[in-house]
Amino acid sequence: MSQFFMAILIVFFGGISALVLARQAKLMRIVAVLSLSAGCLFGVIDTGIKLMAGGSFTASFAFLKVFSLAFQIDGLSAFFLCAIFVVSLMATIYSYDYMGHEKSWIRVAGNYFFFSILIASMALVVTSANIITFMISWEIMSLSSFFLVIYNYESDENRKAGYLYFIFSHVGAMFIFVAFALVYAHSGHFGFEGFGALPEPTKYLVFIFSFIGFGSKAGIFPFHVWLPHAHPAAPSHISAVMSGVMIKTGVYGILKVYSLLGFNTPVFGYIVLSVGVISGILGVVYALGQQDLKRLLAYSSVENIGIIFIGLGIGMIGVSTGNSLMAVLGFSGGFLHILNHSIFKSLLFMGAGMVLHRTGTRSIDALGGLLKNMKITGTTFVIGTLAISGLPPFNGFVSEFFIYLGAFKGVILGKTDLVMSIVAIIGLAVIGGLALATFTKVVGVVFQGEPRTKAAQNVTEKGGSMLFSMAVLAAGCLFIGVYPCILIRLPMTAVSALGLDFGSVPLEPFYQMTGHITQAAVLLIAVILIVAILRSLSYKGKVVGKSGTWGCGFTQPTVKMQYTGSSYAGSILEFFSAAAPLEEDHPEIKGRFPLKTYYKSRIHDIAEFHMDRAIVRPVLSFFDKLRWIQHGDIHLYIGYILLAIVLLLFFV
Amino acid sequence: MIESVILWFLAILTAPFFSAVILKIKAFFGGKKGPPLLINYYTLIKLFKKGSVYSHSTTLVFKLGPIISLSTAVVVLLFLPIAGHAPVFSFKGDILFLLYVMGLGRFFTIAAAMDTASPFEGMGAAREAYFPIICEAAMFMILIFFYRLTGELQLSAYFAGENTMALWNTAGAPLLFIVISFFIILLTENSRVPVDDPATHLELTMIHEGIVLDHSGPDFALIELGSFCKLFFYSTLISRLILPFSSEISGLGFCLYIAGLFIVYIGVGVTESVIARYRMDKVPQFVLTSFALAFFATIISMEFIK
Repeated sequence: MSQFFMAILIVFFGGISALVLARQAKLMRIVAVLSLSAGCLFGVIDTGIKLMAGGSFTASFAFLKVFSLAFQIDGLSAFFLCAIFVVSLMATIYSYDYMGHEKSWIRVAGNYFFFSILIASMALVVTSANIITFMISWEIMSLSSFFLVIYNYESDENRKAGYLYFIFSHVGAMFIFVAFALVYAHSGHFGFEGFGALPEPTKYLVFIFSFIGFGSKAGIFPFHVWLPHAHPAAPSHISAVMSGVMIKTGVYGILKVYSLLGFNTPVFGYIVLSVGVISGILGVVYALGQQDLKRLLAYSSVENIGIIFIGLGIGMIGVSTGNSLMAVLGFSGGFLHILNHSIFKSLLFMGAGMVLHRTGTRSIDALGGLLKNMKITGTTFVIGTLAISGLPPFNGFVSEFFIYLGAFKGVILGKTDLVMSIVAIIGLAVIGGLALATFTKVVGVVFQGEPRTKAAQNVTEKGGSMLFSMAVLAAGCLFIGVYPCILIRLPMTAVSALGLDFGSVPLEPFYQMTGHITQAAVLLIAVILIVAILRSLSYKGKVVGKSGTWGCGFTQPTVKMQYTGSSYAGSILEFFSAAAPLEEDHPEIKGRFPLKTYYKSRIHDIAEFHMDRAIVRPVLSFFDKLRWIQHGDIHLYIGYILLAIVLLLFFV
Repeated sequence: MIESVILWFLAILTAPFFSAVILKIKAFFGGKKGPPLLINYYTLIKLFKKGSVYSHSTTLVFKLGPIISLSTAVVVLLFLPIAGHAPVFSFKGDILFLLYVMGLGRFFTIAAAMDTASPFEGMGAAREAYFPIICEAAMFMILIFFYRLTGELQLSAYFAGENTMALWNTAGAPLLFIVISFFIILLTENSRVPVDDPATHLELTMIHEGIVLDHSGPDFALIELGSFCKLFFYSTLISRLILPFSSEISGLGFCLYIAGLFIVYIGVGVTESVIARYRMDKVPQFVLTSFALAFFATIISMEFIK
């Protein structure tokens, strides 16, 4: 266990040294990046060794004689630790060049300081072994990420995004507090053991409260509203970490509560699964409708959280029906997707960061043709999009394959389980198709075709450390996609750490499945290579010319005539217009010599739309009426405090 | 195994021939003589002899498009039980792999189209991304139906040997729905009338022909061959479904399979001749019919396998 704290301390040291060395901009970056990545690397290795050794490791410290801080690393937390450290490591390396252009040294120093705290607190969240430790780490994590989100605090939009995130994470935390308070009220101590001893109706309550609380961090529909605001506001390496791993701590929380409750009711599975399907489909529909690259990626995180929840829901249904194979397939698929998503989503955010860095715009419809001069960024980004669309031979396919297999196991069950499995399968299929549409849009409009505006012309890529991170992550996508057998142990250990009561699961069928995936992927790659060779043979000695794109007889094409992202997505979005209403604004063209005109369109997020109308405005008007309490006189405020304490004395 | 490999090879070789059958049928309905049955081979040879012209706008992705769309079609055929024989490769869950491999092919076809910066190809690409979403949902609904009947998730468990006959014996009535549903998917996925018009020359109305406008020479030949293979894949599935018989007499089963293939291709030809292409915004409703049919088949099948 001491090695783990060592890793955390090294990471933390990096953050502190950034503050100390703030004035020597370059030295600070070198020291901070080295220290942070050393800590993460150390953490990865340590976690790897612990995973191999198996079992669980614990440590606890008494704190102020009031309560104890307890930590534990078991299979589940080791799994999340791996994802946290790997993604943070790559993001840290990426940040070296990304932060290089920043003029304000204090801001860079602050960024590294809060970044180190974020990494450390995420690691502590997944290793916490009692309620108090968990909540402390959780709050530190939320606060440090809040400061990272408002990095560019001058812009109104970013401050708004920061506040939105702040409110969501704290309202979420309130729900978690309620859930934990229910446990404390029954058990009378802060240990995690209290969950299992609750009476059944309370277990439902605890699960639902913590599901809402953790779900708002994970970004499930309709609590995802903060995500598409916060991710574009934060610097790209932070978005990569937040979207790649931080939101997964919400998934961890739900899983932890689920396993602690030890209550095999099918209801939990139904809730998780249906929320997963809704988040998945709506997430990707909204992603398709976005015109801002990073917002699009943020919505796609909502979608992938949905896929993860579908997997976990299938797993929970498997547990409740005693179908162990279905349970393990669902859980391990969900776990694997957590890992995979953290890899390809951070890759995509890094790619988006590079684009933003070099072109200065996040607007998809302003870009185009970037692949020509940004070979590495473009190629790795394309690999990331293939992986996130779940296509073989990349890693996204492997996890979806497992989830599908698990869901199909549920098809032969009866009644509700059957309906749920059908919903899961069709949901996954629709999500897959929509994800393909979304990411062909991104690749097609941002990286291909011709530059649509000046910003995208003659853009080159720069920054070795950024390219290195993206290349490593892209290689990871392909490697896991072809050889999942090496990684299958990780989710399997995590599943067995959930403590589901069907003993040890035989690994044999899973090795068989991963073996099949490897064979099929190798076969696919081999056929592609053979066809490529045959093609190049057939071009031997041929005349290959270059010309303009065939304009179907039109002789004066301009880049403005290209299909834009909005037009590409238009017809699909029309199909989903009930969930994603389109707001258009364009003046009618009149007369023989029409004046200059414009067209604006925007997809509304119904969650945000209705939350604003049904919750935010009533709450605001209520508090408006209470404004007289806020008098501005300090004496009166002290009076309030005294009054409150006196009143409380009557009750406690 | 060797037999399967030979069949696979024959499938790729004869796929262009069968596609020409559709042209003949359409010519017949139009009162014309029509092109020879070997027309597609002539076209392929002609294309392979040519060079290519690439647009200034394109990148490597444009060249990858044809390679991957053919490769994926060929890989899919490797897993296909042809004429009821065991496929070359097969594993539990292979059909999921196949559906996603076809997705990979589609990804690169669309990406290659977007590479040209042509508005026509962008338009086609958007449609190519749209309609298969519904198709995929229908396909998975059919899989759910098959899974309930067999408990397997493998193409050979449905289409190899006696398995297809067994499907008819357990749930014949709902299987009729599945056949129609498959036929609609075939029409959509292979860009046939009434979803798309492969013969049109008006760019605004086409999907698949639109997105390959800029390909030429051997590249275009690869795309054509790939789409012949893809059509062959779906036709084989339907052929097995409508004539699920296998026979002791050697060669008879094979003949039945070929007969089934002819029925499917002629069916496609007749459909193309008697139906007009739908307006683009009506297409989703047409494709959704296949989902609805598969869904009802699953519901009905609950009665059969209690």
